[in-house]
Amino acid sequence: MITVTINNKKYEANEGEYALQVLKREGIEIPYLCYHEALSPYGACRLCMVEVTGGARPGITTSCTLVVTDGLEIQTEAPEVVRIRKVLLEMYLAEAPGSEAIQELARKFGVERSRFADFDIEAKGDRCVLCGRCVRVCNEVLGVGAINYASRGTKSNINTPWYGVSSACIGCTACAYVCPAGAIDIIDSGDERIMETWNRTTLKLKECVETKEFFATEKVIDHVYSKALDLPEDLKEVSAGSRMRRRASEFLPKYLRK
Amino acid sequence: MDEKVEKIIEQHQGKPGTVISVLESVQENYGYLPQQILEQVAQALGVPLAQLFSMATFYSAFSLKPRGKHTIYACLGTACHVRGGARVLKGVSQQIGVKPGDTTDDRQFTLETVRCIGCCSLAPVVKVNEDVYGYTTTDKMRGILDNYKE
Repeated sequence: MITVTINNKKYEANEGEYALQVLKREGIEIPYLCYHEALSPYGACRLCMVEVTGGARPGITTSCTLVVTDGLEIQTEAPEVVRIRKVLLEMYLAEAPGSEAIQELARKFGVERSRFADFDIEAKGDRCVLCGRCVRVCNEVLGVGAINYASRGTKSNINTPWYGVSSACIGCTACAYVCPAGAIDIIDSGDERIMETWNRTTLKLKECVETKEFFATEKVIDHVYSKALDLPEDLKEVSAGSRMRRRASEFLPKYLRK
Repeated sequence: MDEKVEKIIEQHQGKPGTVISVLESVQENYGYLPQQILEQVAQALGVPLAQLFSMATFYSAFSLKPRGKHTIYACLGTACHVRGGARVLKGVSQQIGVKPGDTTDDRQFTLETVRCIGCCSLAPVVKVNEDVYGYTTTDKMRGILDNYKE
């Protein structure tokens, strides 16, 4: 255990963890978009900026990539930090004028209006802030890599190769789950899952043999079984609820008193 | 798998960080990065196709569209711009009938713009393949380009 000082108050922290993790654990408010606990730190959105006031390298830096060391001193509300944060939020409002989640985040940190709103005319209803969470979850966690950044600079965007229907996508919806801007649309209709944002890549859903509800895409099931060894075969065709009931009905009679 | 790709991948196999070199070789051999070839490269290297597409669209050295036999680079750097580079570009564009970034239907020329080739004293400059032409005008360009046509 090491000690770090945040806003003049001492906190305990684990060696090797990132400053943002400490801030989150201690309930100290800081905005961020590209960080996610399941993903590697990325330092792209720059919103989690803090000022390091003590230690070997003082200055302003992103807390999501700042490894804590004993005696580290940081300020989350220093005037310069707050100023940078607000300018960034203004930029994000202009980058993703269509995202309600971004507007809410900006409002929470005192930014209602963006001076840059008229600059990016192409942005229109865009909701993506290019934080890359979807790209990283698809590559790092799922090992699928159906989406990635495309192009560069102001034309930068996230999409499938050649902006077409993806043959790699398994329809797991992790991208939409981690998106902080609500920028990914997925529609389940009948026995199909349509990844609207990924050029309407369409996947077949599997029906639970017991409850008849559609619970996952066929490709997700195949993917899970290809990664995990020794999974009981009979779980391929049942939803999470039915799975529990099945296992419980096998388990309980053995242990309940007659 | 396409024979040429097979050979390219063979040359690079086993070495880490070969993706860019492989893409460069593909571009050299095919003149651009065809989708079917990249699909084969992704498969062979075990790299997601989306990542290859990402790299191919990030670096301006890569092209996803077929390119002409000759590439015309019209300079729009500061010095060339001041001396009428934009006008020369417009003239060339009209002569061959394509916009910057595009290729003529007969696959003879691809027109590109660049920001300074490093010989501003010759402004306005146009480069065709590796040949540099200085003090260009729309009229001069007509004659120059004729030399490259077959």
